[in-house]
Amino acid sequence: MNLSKSFCLEVSGPFACFTRPEMKVERVSYDVMTPSSARSIFEAVLWKPAIRWRVHRIEVLKPLRWINLRRNEVSAVVSTRNVQQAMAAGSGTLGLYIEDERQQRAGYFLREVAYRIHADLSLVPGRPGEPLMKYTEMFTRRAGKGQCVNQPYLGCREFAADFRLIDLSTPPATAPITETRELGWMLHDLDFTHPADPQPRFFNAKMVAGVIEVPPFEEARG
Amino acid sequence: MILQALNDYYRRKCDDPDPAERLPAFGLEQKEIFFLLEITAEGKLVQLIDTRTLNGKKKVAQIFRVPLGVKKSSGVVANLLWDTLEYVLGVDTKGKSERVVEQHAHFVARIKALPQATQEDAGIQAVLAFLANMDLKQLQAEPAWAQAFEINAVMSFRLHGDVNLVCQRPAVVNAALNVGTDVDERLAMCLVTGNDAPVQRLHAAIKGVWGAQSSGANIVSFNARSFESYGKTERQGENAPVSTAAAFAYTTALNHLLRKGSSQRIQVGDASAVFWADKDSAFESAIPNIFGEPPTDNPDRNAQAVQALFSAMHSGKPAGPDGQTRFHMLGLAPNAARISIRFYHCLPLYELSERILQYFKDLELARGPHDPQFPSLFRLLAAVAVQNKADNIPPNLGGAIVDAVFAGPDVPYPSLWLNAAVGRCRGEQNVNYLRACAIKACLNRQIRHSTVTPSNVIQEKEFLPMLDLSNANPAYRLGRLFATLEKIQEEASPGLNATIRDRYYGAASSTPVAVFTTLLRLKNSHLKKLSSGRAMGFEKLLGEILSAVVDFPKHMALPDQGRFALGYYHQRQAFFTKISDTPNATPSNPEGN
Repeated sequence: MNLSKSFCLEVSGPFACFTRPEMKVERVSYDVMTPSSARSIFEAVLWKPAIRWRVHRIEVLKPLRWINLRRNEVSAVVSTRNVQQAMAAGSGTLGLYIEDERQQRAGYFLREVAYRIHADLSLVPGRPGEPLMKYTEMFTRRAGKGQCVNQPYLGCREFAADFRLIDLSTPPATAPITETRELGWMLHDLDFTHPADPQPRFFNAKMVAGVIEVPPFEEARG
Repeated sequence: MILQALNDYYRRKCDDPDPAERLPAFGLEQKEIFFLLEITAEGKLVQLIDTRTLNGKKKVAQIFRVPLGVKKSSGVVANLLWDTLEYVLGVDTKGKSERVVEQHAHFVARIKALPQATQEDAGIQAVLAFLANMDLKQLQAEPAWAQAFEINAVMSFRLHGDVNLVCQRPAVVNAALNVGTDVDERLAMCLVTGNDAPVQRLHAAIKGVWGAQSSGANIVSFNARSFESYGKTERQGENAPVSTAAAFAYTTALNHLLRKGSSQRIQVGDASAVFWADKDSAFESAIPNIFGEPPTDNPDRNAQAVQALFSAMHSGKPAGPDGQTRFHMLGLAPNAARISIRFYHCLPLYELSERILQYFKDLELARGPHDPQFPSLFRLLAAVAVQNKADNIPPNLGGAIVDAVFAGPDVPYPSLWLNAAVGRCRGEQNVNYLRACAIKACLNRQIRHSTVTPSNVIQEKEFLPMLDLSNANPAYRLGRLFATLEKIQEEASPGLNATIRDRYYGAASSTPVAVFTTLLRLKNSHLKKLSSGRAMGFEKLLGEILSAVVDFPKHMALPDQGRFALGYYHQRQAFFTKISDTPNATPSNPEGN
């Protein structure tokens, strides 16, 4: 029997970009945090192959504000063939000349965001003998101290997030916003059963009084 | 949300009770056809018609509803019954003769691939007969041939005696509508509609975004390696699965909103903004009237639209059921072959009206007789550009301002606007009406925004449209002081070419302490030249202004320079309104209203 324990983190940051798949080049963010970004924040604090995070609730704490930015980026990727050759040969040129590959990409990002995200920590099925308490204790300790493997980010790595472990027994200090609206089809997560060809899964997202209830991954369609 | 909203708009317009208003169904599109080959039923050429008419200085071709064109890239693909001259006639215009032969072959093959029933239609038979027995000399003898050849014009066929084109005949339209999608296409869930459907690989181009390439640009495109994710290299559409029907719907809707002469779009800076509503509403086409530039033959159009909005708000109309209609505002900016979303807002009508009215309330300012009451956005932007030239307007500014207007009643305007306005005041050494409006609007929004978020600074008062005697902000008072000193100089030495404003405005605005000591000393000699009553009045006014100024600051930051400019403008306006009333000043008059 797989028990799971619920945790809550409050994350905030000056900018966020939960990129919509259809507007990925000139980035436009979803209105609220996606479950996959919430999962990435939990995984930044603690992840082991034995555990799995499942986000079930996202609360929006600040009203939606947007900003439009234009940034210089590159249009090419380093070729994997070159990397493999360099690895085999021991040396090689892997550099990218940005002057030749420069692309200006605009972005419509969120600003001044704060969310409370709730997720369940559970064990991956098929691994007998692992105690759940070991991982819950690890997470509570690490999150309490602010320890993380990589800096948690809000959608894109350059938008760093501050996080704080919330004790669910005490009532929360800030209430979610009172807005209720339909958010359309939102990316839930990606299905990696075929690692070479991940498939997106979507769910019909609704924000009710600032709270988004995230259905289980199996119910998301794709 | 954006694609979904456009999809819903397309569905709404397809069900429009007026058939002329309906958007083309899946499989058809609106296209400009420049030349028509009029042929008899046997396939003989009657004439080559030029459909272009002179619209101002530009020649505009007629628009027809034709079968959906294929997206042209580097391969040879033909459209059905309409295409460029090289495809239709197989005549080489650019010197690539083998390619032209292939193009023509594809074009004919496409017609021959139609179902047998369609091919028996009289129009198709005539076209096939014409193409089989094409007489190039007769074509080249046509007067319109030279123009068509030069621009490799898009052309199509029409039967002699018909009003519609051959590709608009019912048999052909049916065939175009029933065209099946490739059976071997993968089904995936569409992220716009949620249905399982074949995925559109390359989305149709959006034309009409000013500044993008003329062949159209895409919102959804993945045309470089770094734009693809999750290993979906060279499988463009799969990076964002959108079904073919949804892709057609949103591109058609957007092209319709962006078409030439559309009443639902305006240009703000480099952003093309479109507006649409969830239900039919008269307000849909009113927004461009409010923000856009009024046409020269109807300069009051803007003012009338805004007055109509004010009166509607007062009569309580937007609060009713019509007020719940949701409006969508989408700003698009070009980036070569792509389009970026500059802003997107979705608001019910009553909120939208409130925000627009707040925008005008913030801009309200005491004005001279020739200043417009509701300045258009373009005028406001040109006033903060170098030399008032439209080319020098910072490109992002218009879009950012409109974004702030729709985002909320207290969202601060971009600081670039305030900085540019103050900078121009210093550069041109005067504060005109439009710049003062911009400064007042930016400062008031800043003040309101800082009261919304908690702060422990003393609440600053918002600026009124006219002179505010009770405003004790030191920078504002210094601006008023500068205006008073200038007035004293003007009255003492009438007919001066350069007042202290031309010499000292910049320094007084940025480093007051260096300048005001000199000016206050000089004013004494000016006051000696005035009558004693008038001099007394001015002294009283100076005393009242300086009562709130404890010390002259060494430097003033840009927002304070904005307050300085506003104080200067208010005091000048107050002087001018009083001068027109009473030429004989009594001691209490120069204090303004």
